[in-house]
Amino acid sequence: MGSSIFYFLGFVSIFTALMVILSKSPINSVLYLVITFFSIAAQFVLLNAGFLAAVLVIVYAGAIMVLFLFVVMLLNLNKEYEPHKHIYIKFAGGIAGGILLVTLIGALHGSGEIADSTLNGEASYAASTGTIQNLGKSLFSDYLLPFEISSVLFLAAMVGAVFLGKKEKSSPKVSAEKI
Amino acid sequence: MTEQYFSGLRIELFLTMLILALLVGKVLAIKQNPIGTLTLISVFLISSIGISFMQNESGYLFGTMFRTNSTILFEKAILLAGTFIVFMLGFEWMKKQKHFLEFCMLLLSTLLGMCFMISSGNFLMFFLGLELATIPLAALASFDLDEKKSSEAGMKLILSSAFASAILLFGISFIYGTTGSVSFDTIASAIDGNNVQKFGFICILTGFAFKISAVPFHFWTADVYEGAPVAITSYLSVVSKGAAIFVLMPVLYHAFGRMSSTYIPALILLSTVTIITGNLFALRQKSMKRFLAFSTVTQAGYLLLGITGNNTEAGASVVYFMLIYIFSNLGAFTVVSILQNRTGRDDIGVYKGLYKTNPTLSMVLLLALFSLAGIPPAAGFFGKLFLLSSAAGAGYYVAVIIASVNMVVSLYYYLNIVKMMFVDEPEITIEKLKPAVTEQISLFICCCGILVIGFIPAIYEYIYNLSAAI
Amino acid sequence: MSSVTVDYLPIFIQFCVAIGFVVFVMLVTHLIGPKRSSKVKDASFECGIEAKGNARTPFSVKYFLTAILFVLFDVEVIFMYPWAVNFKGFGWFGFVEMTLFLGLLLIGFLYIVKKGALEWEE
Repeated sequence: MGSSIFYFLGFVSIFTALMVILSKSPINSVLYLVITFFSIAAQFVLLNAGFLAAVLVIVYAGAIMVLFLFVVMLLNLNKEYEPHKHIYIKFAGGIAGGILLVTLIGALHGSGEIADSTLNGEASYAASTGTIQNLGKSLFSDYLLPFEISSVLFLAAMVGAVFLGKKEKSSPKVSAEKI
Repeated sequence: MTEQYFSGLRIELFLTMLILALLVGKVLAIKQNPIGTLTLISVFLISSIGISFMQNESGYLFGTMFRTNSTILFEKAILLAGTFIVFMLGFEWMKKQKHFLEFCMLLLSTLLGMCFMISSGNFLMFFLGLELATIPLAALASFDLDEKKSSEAGMKLILSSAFASAILLFGISFIYGTTGSVSFDTIASAIDGNNVQKFGFICILTGFAFKISAVPFHFWTADVYEGAPVAITSYLSVVSKGAAIFVLMPVLYHAFGRMSSTYIPALILLSTVTIITGNLFALRQKSMKRFLAFSTVTQAGYLLLGITGNNTEAGASVVYFMLIYIFSNLGAFTVVSILQNRTGRDDIGVYKGLYKTNPTLSMVLLLALFSLAGIPPAAGFFGKLFLLSSAAGAGYYVAVIIASVNMVVSLYYYLNIVKMMFVDEPEITIEKLKPAVTEQISLFICCCGILVIGFIPAIYEYIYNLSAAI
Repeated sequence: MSSVTVDYLPIFIQFCVAIGFVVFVMLVTHLIGPKRSSKVKDASFECGIEAKGNARTPFSVKYFLTAILFVLFDVEVIFMYPWAVNFKGFGWFGFVEMTLFLGLLLIGFLYIVKKGALEWEE
C-alpha cells in the first residue's frame, strides 16, 4: 500500500515536472509546477512530515507560484516575442542533459546497499521525527543560529526588493543633495 | 558560557549591530550626511579588524554550526579590510546615490553572510551564509537604476548564482542522503567516496566554480563586472571571491578529506583550464573592467592550483595570496574608478599617455599591475611563488609548468597597459585629476600593502603558524 | 507506512470527494444542459465593450513588489507556528529568540512603511 502510493506520487511529480519544461504556454508550465509541488507535499506526508507538507503547499504552491504568474505576465510573452532558439543550442542542451542523466544513473547504480548501510532501513527512523513539536524543538535549539541569520537575510531581501521595485518621484539629481 | 558566544561571534555581532544602526537611522529619518555614515562604517570596520586579532580560542559554537579559530579570524580580517577599501574607493560615486544608506546596508549584509559562510561548520550554515552573501549582491549590481547595463548585470548575477546554488544544493542533497548528515565533521568520518558521493561532490564543486568564476563556469563574470558599478565590481572580484575560496578549503580538506583522489584531479583540470582561458580572453579585451574581470578569472585559476597542495603550506599560501591580491586588485580598481568617474569611459584607450597628465595614478596602476602579473618587487610575485611551490611540493609539476608559462603570457597584456600609459601618445586629453581624500586613502593603503607585504617574510610565517596551529 | 500516515486518510477522502464533486457536476451539466451557440454568444465578454488587443499586456511592477514582500512575511509567519506549539516548553529563552527574530523583521517592516512601498498611489 505505502510503496504503491509512493510510486504513484513519484510518477505524478516526475510527469508534471517534465510537463513544466515541455508545455508551450508559460501559464501551463506554472500550473503544472503547482501540481508538482502538491505531489511532493504528499510525499512529505508519507514521511510523516506533515508540517513541511503544509509549508510547501502554503509557501510554494501558494505564494511563490503567484510570483511566477506575475513574472510571466510581466515578461510580455506574446507569440511574436518568442525567442527563436537555434537548433545547435537545442542539440547542445540535449547532449549535456543526456550526459548528466547517464552519469546520474551510473552513480546511483547499485546504491541500494549504500542506502541500507548508512540509514539502517526503517529501524532508525522514528515516526515522530517530522511532527511540529519536534521540528520546533530542534529549530529553536540546534538550528538557532541559522534561524536568526535567516531574519537578517529577510531584512536584506526586503531592503533590496523595496529599493529595486520602488520608483521614487523625484529625480536622482535633486534628492542626492537631500540625503 | 554566554561570554564564549559573544567572543566567538564578535565580528558578526558587530556587523549586525552596524547594519541595524544604519537601518534604524533610516527608519527614524535621522538627518544623515554621507560623510558621517562613512565615518561610522569605517570606525566599525577598522575596530572589527582590530578585535579579530584579539585573543581567541578555537572551537565550535551552536553544536557544529559555527566554527572559529585564528585562521578564520584572519580571513575575516582580510575580508573586512577589503570591504573598507571598497568603501573608500567607491565613496565618490556612492555619495551621489540617493540610496546611499541602502547601498551600505546591503554591502555590509553580504559581508556578514561571507563571515558566516567561512565560519560554517556544516552545509546548512554554509548555504545560508552563501545566500546572504549573494542575494543582496544582485541588488547591488543593479544599483544604477538608470543604467540598462547595470540592470542587466544584476539580472545575470542573480540568475547565474541561483543556478549555481541549485546545483550546489543538488550535490549537498546527495552527500546528505549517503552520509546522513550535513555537518562537516560527520561527513568527514562517514564519507567513503562511492559513486553517488562523487557525483554529489562534483555538483558541489561546480557550484563553487560558479562562485569563484572558474572556467567553464565564468560566463557571467565579464558582463556582470562590466555592467555593475565599479565599487561592486571590485567587491565581487576581491571580497566575494576571497570568501568563496576561504570556505572551499575547509570543505575540501575537512569534509571531503578522504576523497582527495577525486578532488585533486578535478581541481588541477579546473585550474589549468581556467588559467589558460582567462589569459586568452584577457588578451583581447578593450574595456578595462572586462580586462580586469578576465584577469580575476586567471587569478582564481592560480588560487585553485594552490589549493591542490592539500596541506598546511597550501592553506597558508592561499590566504597569503588573497591578502596580496586584495591590495593589488583594489589598487587597480581605485584607478579605474577615478578615471571612470571623471571621464565616463572605461575603455583601454583612456589610459594612453596617462603618465604625462597623471603620474601618480599611473605609478599606482603600474604597481598594481606588476603585482597582479607577479613581477618581483611587487608582493604578487611572492604570492604566486608560494602558490606554485605548494602545488609543486605535492608533485603536480605539469600543472605548475603550465601555470608558469601562462604567467609569462600574462606579462604581455599587463605590460601592454603599462606601455600604453608610459609610452603612447594620449588619445584624449585628460586634465590632471585630483583624487578625493577617500580615494587617496585607498590608493595609499593599496600601495603600502603591495610594497610592504612582499618585503616582510614575517607575514607569511605568521599566516603559516596560524594554519599550523589548528 | 506508519500509523501517522493513516491520520491523513480523512483529508485524502475529503480531497477525493471535493475533486469528484467538481468533476461530476461539470460532466453532468455538460451532458444534460442544452447546447445553443451563436456568434454573439461565443464572443468574449468584457463589460459590454468589444474586446480588442492582447490580454497579455505587461503590468506594473508594483504588484510584484507587493507579492515579494508578502512571500517574505509569509515565510516569517510560518516560523512562528513550530514556536507557538512549543511555547510553554521553551520558556523565556524561546521568547527572547523569537523577539530577536521578529525585532529584526519589524525594523524591515518599518522601513517598508517608511519608504511607502505598500502605498498604491504615487
